[in-house]
Amino acid sequence: MKSVIDYFSSSIWTIISFILIIFLILIPLGSFLSYSFFTVDGLDINHEFSLANYKEFFIDEIYINTFVRTVFLALTVMFSCILLGYPVAYFLARYAGKFKYAILLMLIIPLFMSYIIKIYMMRSILGYSGLINKVLKMLDIIEKPLEFFLWNQNAVIITLVIILLPLIIIPTFISLDKIPSNIIEASFDLGCKPFQAFKYVIFPIGFPGLVVGSIFVFILALGDFVTPQLVGGTSGFTYGKIIYSNFGLAFNWPFGASLASILLFVSVIIIALTNYLTKKRKS
Amino acid sequence: MTRLENVTKYMMALLTTLVVTTLYAPIIMTIFFSFYKTRKGLVNWESFSYEPYTKLIFEKQILESLLNSLYVGSLTVVCSVVVGFYFANYYHTSRGRMKELLQFIIFLPFLMPPIITGLSLLIFFREIGLPRSLNTVVIGHTIFVLAIVFKIILNKLETLKSSLMESAYDLGASKLQAFWYVLLPNIKLSLIIAGLLAFTISLDETLITLFLIGSDTTWPIKLWAKMRVGFSKQVNASVTLILILTSFLVLLIATIVSRSEKRIMY
Repeated sequence: MKSVIDYFSSSIWTIISFILIIFLILIPLGSFLSYSFFTVDGLDINHEFSLANYKEFFIDEIYINTFVRTVFLALTVMFSCILLGYPVAYFLARYAGKFKYAILLMLIIPLFMSYIIKIYMMRSILGYSGLINKVLKMLDIIEKPLEFFLWNQNAVIITLVIILLPLIIIPTFISLDKIPSNIIEASFDLGCKPFQAFKYVIFPIGFPGLVVGSIFVFILALGDFVTPQLVGGTSGFTYGKIIYSNFGLAFNWPFGASLASILLFVSVIIIALTNYLTKKRKS
Repeated sequence: MTRLENVTKYMMALLTTLVVTTLYAPIIMTIFFSFYKTRKGLVNWESFSYEPYTKLIFEKQILESLLNSLYVGSLTVVCSVVVGFYFANYYHTSRGRMKELLQFIIFLPFLMPPIITGLSLLIFFREIGLPRSLNTVVIGHTIFVLAIVFKIILNKLETLKSSLMESAYDLGASKLQAFWYVLLPNIKLSLIIAGLLAFTISLDETLITLFLIGSDTTWPIKLWAKMRVGFSKQVNASVTLILILTSFLVLLIATIVSRSEKRIMY
C-alpha cells in the first residue's frame, strides 16, 4: 500500500514539474512565436494569422540590412574576443603556475559586476572628452579629440568585447587546463616543433572550450540591445535595439515578435551547427 | 625552453595584464568617482570625501531599488534552488526517455538570447492577464538561472554513490528521512553554491528584467534610467557598495568550491 502511495506521489510531482516548465518555458515561447503571425490594430492585437510581418521584414531593406550588419558586428566581437582571449587562456593554463586560479578568479569577478555600469563607464572612457582622448592629447599624439570611439559601431564593438571577454577565456582555459604537461613534452620528444605541438596537440584539445565560449559571445552580442542604446548613438543601432523599440515606443509587439523569431531561428541554426561540428570532430 | 617560446610567453603575460586592467578600468573609475570630484574634466585631488555614502540614506529611490533587487534575488534563489534540485534529482534517478527532453527544455532560456526569454514571457503574461510586477521578474530570473542551478546540483548528485540512498532505505528510512538526514547533508554545499550564483546573477540581470518589470524598479533598471541624466555621486557610491557585495559573493563561491574539491580528494 505504501509503495502505491509512493508511486503516485512521485508521479504527481513529475507531472507538476513538467507542467511547470511547459507553462513557463514552452508556452511562452509558443505564444511569442504565434504573436509573430498577428498584426496590430491601433492599441489592440489582432489575433488573426497573417504573414504581413515577415513580408515587411523581407521587403523593407532597413531590416535585412540591419540584421546583416548586426551579424557582422557580432562576428567582429566574437573574433576580437578570440584573438584577445585565447592567448590569455593559454597563458593561464600553461605558464601562470600557482597564480592561475587567482588570475582566473580576477577574470570571473567582472563578469558578475554591473553590466550597466560597465557600459556607462565605457562612455566616459571612450567619449569626446574621455580618458583615451585625454591621454592621447597629453602625449601629444593627437591635437583634436578623436570622435572615432563613441556614438558609433566601434563603441558598441569595444564595449561588448570588454563585457563578454571573460566568457571566452573561462571555457577555453578549462579545456586547455585539462592537458597534462607530459603530453606536450612527449610531442616535443617525438620531434615536434613548438608550432607543430600547438597545431596538432594543444589546439585540438582546447577547441571545444573555445567553441562554447565563442557561441556564447556571438549569441549575446547578436541579441544585445542595451549596449547599442547607450553607446551606439544613431549610427550604431542594432537588430536587438529594433526589436526592443517595437516593444516600447513603437508598440508593435507582433512585428517585434517576428523580428525576434528570425533572430531565434538564426541562433538555433548556429547552436545546432556547432553542436554537430564539435561532435563530428570528437568521433 | 627556446627563445621564441620565452618571447611568446612574455607577450602573453603582457596581454593578460592588459586584459585584466581593461576589464577593471570601468569598475575602478566608478569607485574613484564616488570619492573624488572632477571639474572641467580635471580631478580635484583635495575633494576626497565619503559623504556620498552617508548621503545615500536619503536617496529614497536608490534604496528602494536596492531593496527590490534584494527581494527579487532572494526569491529567485529559493525558487531556482527548489525547482533546480527537484529537476536534478528527477534527472538523476529516473530512467525514462523524458529526462533528456527535460534537460533540453531547461537549457533553452539559458542558451537563447536573453531578449527572446524576456519578450516571450512578456507576451505570455499579457495573454493570461498577469500584470507586470517584481514577481514576474522573479519568474523570469528563475527560468534564466535554472539551467545553471540544475547543472551544479546534478554534477554533485552524480558524484554520490547510489548505495548511499539505498542503504538509507534498507535501514528503514522513509523518503523524507532519507532526503533530510542522508541526501541533504551530502549535497548541501552544491545547493549553497548554486544559490549564491543565482543571487549574484539575479542582482545584475538587466536584459530580461527590462521586459518584465512593471512600475517598480530593480537596481540595474534604476541605473539605466539614471543614465540619461548622468550619475550622481550617490549613484556611484551605491555602485561601489554593490560591487563590494558581488565580489564578496564570488570570492565566497570560489572558496567553497575549492574547499569542497579538496574534501573530495582526501
